[in-house]
Amino acid sequence: MTLLLIVLLPFLGALIPPLLIRRGRTVAALAAGAVPVAALALLIPLWPTVRDGGVPRWRIPWLPQIGLEFDIRLDGLAFLFAALVLGIGVLIVVYARYYLSERDPMGRFYALLLLFMGAMTGLALSGNLLLSAIFWELTSLSSFLLIGYWTHRADARDGARTALAVTGLGGLALLGGVLLIGRIVGSFDLDVVLASGALVKADPLYPVVLTLVLLGAFTKSAQVPFHFWLPGAMAAPTPVSAYLHSATMVKAGVFLLARLFPVLAGTDLWFTLVVGAGLLTLIVGAYSAMFQNDLKGLLAYSTISHLGLITLLFGFGTAEAAVAALFHLINHATFKASLFMAAGIIDHETGTRDMRTLNGLWRTMPYTGVLAVIAASAMAGVPLFNGFLSKEMFFAETLAVPPGVAWRWVIPAAATLYGVFSVTYSIRFVYEVFFSGPGTGMPKEPHEAPRWMRIPVEVLAVLAILVGIFPNLIVRPLLTASAAATTGGVIPPIELHVWHGFNLPLLMTVIALVGGFFLFRRLNVLLSVRGGYVRSVSAKGLFDDGLFAVLRMARRLTRTLETGSLQRYVLYFVLAAIVLAVAPVVRHGWPLGAETSVPADGPLIAGWGVLVACAIGTVVWRRQRLVALIVISGAGVMVTLAFARIGAPDLALTQLLVEVVTTMLLLLALHHLPQEAAAGSSRGRLVRDGAIALTAGAGMAAITWAVLTRPFSSISTYFLENAKTQGGGTNVVNVILVDFRGFDTLGEIAVIGIAALGVTMMLDGLHADPRGRPFLMSRDRTPLILTSIARPLLPFALMMSVYIFLRGHNMPGGGFIAAILTSIAIMLQFMANGIPWTAARLRVRPQPVIAWGVLIAVATGVASMLYGSTFLDLAFTYVDFPLIGEVELATALFFDLGVYLTVVAAVILMLTALGALSSDAAAPDDYASEGDPWRS
Amino acid sequence: MSALSHLAILPILIPLVAGLICVLARGRLRPLHRAVSLVSTLAVLGVAVALAVRTGAGELLVYRPGAWPGPYGIVLVADRLAALMLVVTAMVALAAMLYATSGGDGRGRHFHAFFQLQLVGLNGAFLTGDLFNLFVFFEILLIASYCLLLYGGGERRTKAALHYVVLNLAGSALFLVGVGTLYGVTGSLNMADVAVRVALLPPTDAALVRGAGLLLLVVFGLKAAVMPLYFWLPNAYASATAPVAALFAIMTKVGVYCIVRVFTLIFGPLAGPGADTILPWLLPIALVTQFVAYGGAFAARGLRRQIGYLLIASVGTMLAAIGLFTRDGIAAGLYYLIHSTLTVAVLFLVADLLARQRGADTDRLISGPRLIEPGRIGTLFFIGAIAVVGLPPLAGFLGKAQILAAAPATASGWWLWAVTLTGSVIALVAITRAGVVLFWQTESSPAPAAPRTQGRALPVIGLVAALLALTVLAGPVTSFTTAAADQLLQPAGYISSVLGGP
Amino acid sequence: MAFLMASAIGVLVAAGIFLLLRARTFPVILGLSLLSYGVNLFLVTMGRLRGGSAPILVAGVTDQVDPLPQALVLTAIVIGFGMTAFLVVLALRARLTLGNDHVDGEEPDA
Repeated sequence: MTLLLIVLLPFLGALIPPLLIRRGRTVAALAAGAVPVAALALLIPLWPTVRDGGVPRWRIPWLPQIGLEFDIRLDGLAFLFAALVLGIGVLIVVYARYYLSERDPMGRFYALLLLFMGAMTGLALSGNLLLSAIFWELTSLSSFLLIGYWTHRADARDGARTALAVTGLGGLALLGGVLLIGRIVGSFDLDVVLASGALVKADPLYPVVLTLVLLGAFTKSAQVPFHFWLPGAMAAPTPVSAYLHSATMVKAGVFLLARLFPVLAGTDLWFTLVVGAGLLTLIVGAYSAMFQNDLKGLLAYSTISHLGLITLLFGFGTAEAAVAALFHLINHATFKASLFMAAGIIDHETGTRDMRTLNGLWRTMPYTGVLAVIAASAMAGVPLFNGFLSKEMFFAETLAVPPGVAWRWVIPAAATLYGVFSVTYSIRFVYEVFFSGPGTGMPKEPHEAPRWMRIPVEVLAVLAILVGIFPNLIVRPLLTASAAATTGGVIPPIELHVWHGFNLPLLMTVIALVGGFFLFRRLNVLLSVRGGYVRSVSAKGLFDDGLFAVLRMARRLTRTLETGSLQRYVLYFVLAAIVLAVAPVVRHGWPLGAETSVPADGPLIAGWGVLVACAIGTVVWRRQRLVALIVISGAGVMVTLAFARIGAPDLALTQLLVEVVTTMLLLLALHHLPQEAAAGSSRGRLVRDGAIALTAGAGMAAITWAVLTRPFSSISTYFLENAKTQGGGTNVVNVILVDFRGFDTLGEIAVIGIAALGVTMMLDGLHADPRGRPFLMSRDRTPLILTSIARPLLPFALMMSVYIFLRGHNMPGGGFIAAILTSIAIMLQFMANGIPWTAARLRVRPQPVIAWGVLIAVATGVASMLYGSTFLDLAFTYVDFPLIGEVELATALFFDLGVYLTVVAAVILMLTALGALSSDAAAPDDYASEGDPWRS
Repeated sequence: MSALSHLAILPILIPLVAGLICVLARGRLRPLHRAVSLVSTLAVLGVAVALAVRTGAGELLVYRPGAWPGPYGIVLVADRLAALMLVVTAMVALAAMLYATSGGDGRGRHFHAFFQLQLVGLNGAFLTGDLFNLFVFFEILLIASYCLLLYGGGERRTKAALHYVVLNLAGSALFLVGVGTLYGVTGSLNMADVAVRVALLPPTDAALVRGAGLLLLVVFGLKAAVMPLYFWLPNAYASATAPVAALFAIMTKVGVYCIVRVFTLIFGPLAGPGADTILPWLLPIALVTQFVAYGGAFAARGLRRQIGYLLIASVGTMLAAIGLFTRDGIAAGLYYLIHSTLTVAVLFLVADLLARQRGADTDRLISGPRLIEPGRIGTLFFIGAIAVVGLPPLAGFLGKAQILAAAPATASGWWLWAVTLTGSVIALVAITRAGVVLFWQTESSPAPAAPRTQGRALPVIGLVAALLALTVLAGPVTSFTTAAADQLLQPAGYISSVLGGP
Repeated sequence: MAFLMASAIGVLVAAGIFLLLRARTFPVILGLSLLSYGVNLFLVTMGRLRGGSAPILVAGVTDQVDPLPQALVLTAIVIGFGMTAFLVVLALRARLTLGNDHVDGEEPDA
C-alpha cells in the first residue's frame, strides 16, 4: 500500500499547486515540494528490505485479459531510480520557486512537474512491462507540456513537438516490443520476464523485439541519430532542463536497458547495436559540445555524450560494465543537474547564456563560480570528484572488451578521445564564463543569486565531492543492491577506490586531462575553422524535411481520393458493389436452376417494350425536363401495369397514386430548377458511365434470372393460411402490413412524417426568386372550370377514400391508398382555389396531424400491451355496415387510421409547403418565410 | 406480461412518443421540448443499462411485436451486443442533447423531434432481428440524420447534405437488392431463420448467397465509412452543428454493428455455402481504410475535418480487429468501439467550444485569437487527443493493446500491427500539430465578445468521466465484450431462442 | 416471362445508375426514381413469377401468389416516396441558396 502511495502521491499532488497558487508562490512551492519529500519519507524506510534482497510488491489486476496488472515492485534498481527522481525532484522544486519570473504561471508549472515526476516514479517502480510502457508514454506526454511551458516562444513549441514526436514514436515501438515479449514469455509480470531471458533470446522474433525495444530506449536517451530532440528541448525553463536531462527523462532510456538487461543483453546483436549506438553518441555528443556557445547547448550535448557512455557500458553486456554504468548514471545525475542549475543562475543574473558575451563572473559571482568549478570538474572526470571514479571504471571496461571483437581497439581509443573532448568543454564552460574578460558588458549587472536558489546546487556539489572521496561509504550499498537487481543476482564484489595505482585507465585519464587542456588552448582556431556549425542541426533538418514530405504526401493522397465530386463517390459505390457481387461468381461459378416462370405473351412483350423505351427515353431527354417527366411517368405506369399483371392489385393502386403525387411534387419543384439545359459531360465520361451502368444492370438481370430459376419455399404460406383466421382479413397483403408486419408500417409512416417535417424545415426562410406563377397554383382566385369541377369533386373523393379505407383489410385498398386519394382531392382544391382559400377552410394544421396519426398507431400497439400481450398485437370483430357490407372491425382499423392521417397530413404539408414557396397568390412572406401556410 | 417483459421495445417506443410530443408542442422551442427530450433520453439510458445488466447475466431477451410466432412476425432481440450498442448510444445521446440545450437547439424547428426520432432509428436498428425491419429502421435513422445534418441551415450544410443524401438513397436501394436476393433464395426475412436456411442451401447457391451478403457489406460499409465509401463523412461531420456531429459519432457504428451481426449470424463459419463470406475482405478493407484515414487526418486543415478522419481511422481499427473473426478480436473491437464513440463525441464538442472562443466560429488550423479559457478547453482537448491517438493511459491505448494482442502471428496479423502502430504515430504528430497551433501559437488577445463555455463544458466533462470509467473498469468491460463475442460466435443460442415459439 | 422481367429490371437499373452518375440534380432524381422502379420490381419478383391470383382469400382459390414481397414493396414505395420528396426539396434548396443545380453545389469551373 505504501508502494502504491509512493506512485500516486505525485499525481494527486499535481492537483494542489494550481489551487494554492492564489495563496502565493511560496505556498504553492512548499506544497509541491512536500510531495516528493513525503514520497521519499515512504520510500527510504523500505531500504533495509531492498538492501537485503527483498522485493516489496503491491498489485491489483487491471486488464487481466491481456495480462495487464497495476503492479508496483520495488527492487534495488527501482529504488535507486525512484530515489534519484524524487530526490532531485525536491531540489528542482526549490530552485524553480526562485527561477520562475512573476509572469510565469507557477501553479501550472508545479502541476506539470509533479505529473512528470509521477510518471517517472511509476516507470521506475512498475512490476508489469505493459504498465511500464504506459508510464513510459506518460513521461513523453508530460515532458511535452513541460518543454512547451513557455507557449509564446516558437522554439519552445517546436522543441516540444519534436520531442513528443520522437519519443512518442519510440514509445509505440517499445509497446510493440513489450507486447512481443509478452507473447514469447506468456506474461508481462517482471519476475517471469526477467527469468526467461534464455527463452526470449532463443526466439526467432528476438531481433524484432530487440530492435523495437532499443528504438524506444535510444529515442528516449537521445542516442544518435535520435539525439536531435534534446538540444531543441533546451527551450524549456532551466529547472525543467535540469530535471529532464540529468536525472529523469533521458535516463529512462538507459533505465530500460538496465531493466531488461537479463532478458535481452549478452548477444552479439545486442553488443553490435548498443555498443555501436553508444560509441557514436559518445563521440558526436562530446565533439559537438565543444562548439556550443550557449551554456545550455553545451550541457545538452555533454548530456548526450554521457548517455552514450552509459549505453555503451550496458552494451558490453557484462556485470562489471553494468555496475559501472549504474555508477555513472548516479554521478552524471548529480553533477549535470547542478551544472544546469548553475547555468540557470548565470542566465538569471546576467540575462544571457552566450559564452561569447559572458565573462569574468568570478569577480561578481565567486560563490556560484566555486560550485560550477566543482560540478565541471566532476563532469571532466578530475580525480577526487565522483565523475572521475565512474570514468575510470568506464575506461577499464573499454579495455576489458573480450577478444574476438574485430574492432575492439577502437573502443578504448574512442573513450580516450571522448575524455579529451569532455575535459575541453568543461574547461571552456568554467573559463569563458568566470575567468575571461573584465566581467562587464552583459545585459544585466551580475551579482550572486538568492540564497535559496543556490542551496540545491550546493547540495549536489557536496554530494559530488563526498562520493568522489568516500565512494564505498556512500554509494557502494546502493550500487550493490541496484546492480544485483539489474544483472539478476550475479555481481562481482564492487571495489571503489580513489587510487588504483598506476594502470592503463589512469594513463587514459592523464591523456584526457592534458590533451583536453591543450585542445582548449587551440579551440579558438577550431572554432574559427568550424564556425557555429553544429552537427545535429542536419539531423533535425532531416527530421523536419521528413515530416514535411509526409505531409505533402498525405495532402496529395487526400486530394486524389476526396475530390469533392459526388459523381466520383457514386462511381466508387457502384464499382464496389459490382466488384463484390462478381467476386463470388468468379470463385463459385453461376449455376442456374431448372425452375420456370409463366410464359410471356403479346401484351407482356408490348408492355416490356414500352417500359424499356420509357427508361431509355428518360435517359435521352434528361435535359428537357418536362419531356423527361412525362416519359418517366410513362415508365411508372408500365410498372403499375406490371404489378397488376403479376397479381399485386394493392401495389398497382399504390404505385399509380404515388406516381401522381410524385409528379405533382416534381412539377412544383421543377418550376424553381433552371429550365435551360446544363452543359453535359464529355463523350468519354458518358461512354464510361454507360458501360458501368450497363454492367450493373446486367448484374441485376443476372441475379433476378438466377433466383427465378431456383426452387422456392417461403414463410408466406403461413400468412395465406392465417390471414383470415388470425388476422381477420382476406387481403393478405394488407393483413401483413397492419398486423403480421405492422411494426414495419409504423416505421414507414414515421419516415413519411419525418420527411414532411424535414421538408418544411428545409423551406424555412427560403425565398424563391418570384419568377411568375408556380405550376399548378392558380394565380387567379377562381379559375371557373377547375373550381366548378374541383369543389363538388371533393365529397365524392372523400367518400371514395372512406370506402377504400374500410374495405382495405379484405379487398385491395387500406389506409395508405385512401390517404393518397384524399390528399390528391385536397390538392385539387389548392390548385383550383389557391392556398389561402383552401387553408382557411381546412382549418387543420397538418404538422400536428402527422404526430397524431403516428401516435394513434402507437396507441393501438400500446393498448395490446395493456391487455397483457406484446406491442401491436391486434384484435378484431365483425360489424355490418350499410352499403359497404360486413366489415371486420379490428384494432387494425385504428392502426390504419393512424397511417391514413399521417400520410394525408404529410403529403398535404409537403406539397403546400412547396407551392407556398413561391406562391404569389397571397402575401408571400407569410408562407415563404415559414413553409407552412397554416402557421399564424 | 409484466412491465419488465416489454423492456426490449422501450428503447424504440420511448423516444418515438417523445419525438411526437415534441412535434405536437406548438412553437419553435419551448422548455417543454427540452424537458421531454431530456426525460426520454434519460429513460432510454436507464432501459439500456437494465438490458445490459440482464443480458450480461446471460439472458437473451426476445420480443415479438404482434405476438406472431417463430420467423413469421417481426422480432426484437436484445443480446449482449445489442445492449452494449444501446448503452453507448444513450450515453452519447445524453451528452449531445445536454450540449444542444445550451443554445444549439434553437436554430430552427423540430430539433428535439428529429433528435428523438434519430434515437428511434438507431435503437431499432440495434434491436431488430428481421432483415427488412432493419431496412425500415435504417430509413428512419437516415431521414432523421438528413434533417439533423441540415439543421441550422447554411450553404456548407446544404452541400454536404446533398452528397450524404444521394449516396445513402443509392445505399438504401442496394440494401433492398441484398435483402430481396436473400429472401428470393431462402424465402425468409427473420435473421435467425435466414441463418438456418442459408446453412441448408445447396452448394450451387454459393455465388448467389455470397453475392447477396457482399452487397449488404457495401451497404453497411457505406454507413461505417470504410474505403472507398467514406467520402461523404468528413464534410458532413465538419459542417453539422456540434451536438449533431457528436451524436453522429454513433452513426458509423451502426454500420459496424450490422457487419458484426449479419456476418457472424447469417454468414458465420457454420453457414454452409455462405460460410465466412467476408473473412477475406474485411481485414484488408479495414487496413486500407486506416491508412488513408490517417493520411487525411494528417493533411486536414481544420480541426473538425481532422476529427472526422480520425473517426474513420478508428472505424478501420475496430473493423480490423473484428475482421479477425476470433473471440479476442471481436471483443477487442467492441471495446475499441465504445472508446472511439465516446472520444470522437468529446472531440467534436471540444472543437465547438474552441471554435466559439476563437470567434468567427473557426476551427481552421492557423494561429488565431487567444482562448479566454485555455486551461479548461485545453485540458479537455488534451485528454481527447490522448484518447483518440490511443496513447496511455486511456481506453484507446488499452483497446489498441487488446487488438494487437489479439492479432495472430500470421502475415495479416503483422500487417495489422504495422498499420496500427504507424497509424498511431501519424495521428500523434497530426493532432499535436493541431493542438500546438490552436492552443499555444495564438495571438496575444482573445477574440472580441468570445463566449465563456459555462454549462456547455458539463456534458463534455461527463463524457470524459465516462471515458475514464471505461479505462479504469477495462477489466469488467472487456469480460462483457468477450462474453458478447462468445455469444456472436455461437449463434445457436440466438437462433433457438428466436425461432422457439412466441 | 422471367427473361422479360429480368431484362426490364436490368434496363431500369442501368438507366437509373447512368442518370445517378450525372452532374445535375434533376437527372439524379430521375435516376433514383428509375432505380427504385427497378428495385421494386425486383423485390416483388423475388416471390417468383409462377402466375396465380392476387393474394386475396376467396373460397376455393388456393393459387395465390406470394404476398410477402408485395407488402415489402408497398413499404418500400411509401418510404421511397418520402425520400424522393425530401431529395427534391433538398435539390430545390441547393438551387435557391447556392444558385446552381450541380450536385456538388458549385459549378465545376467555378
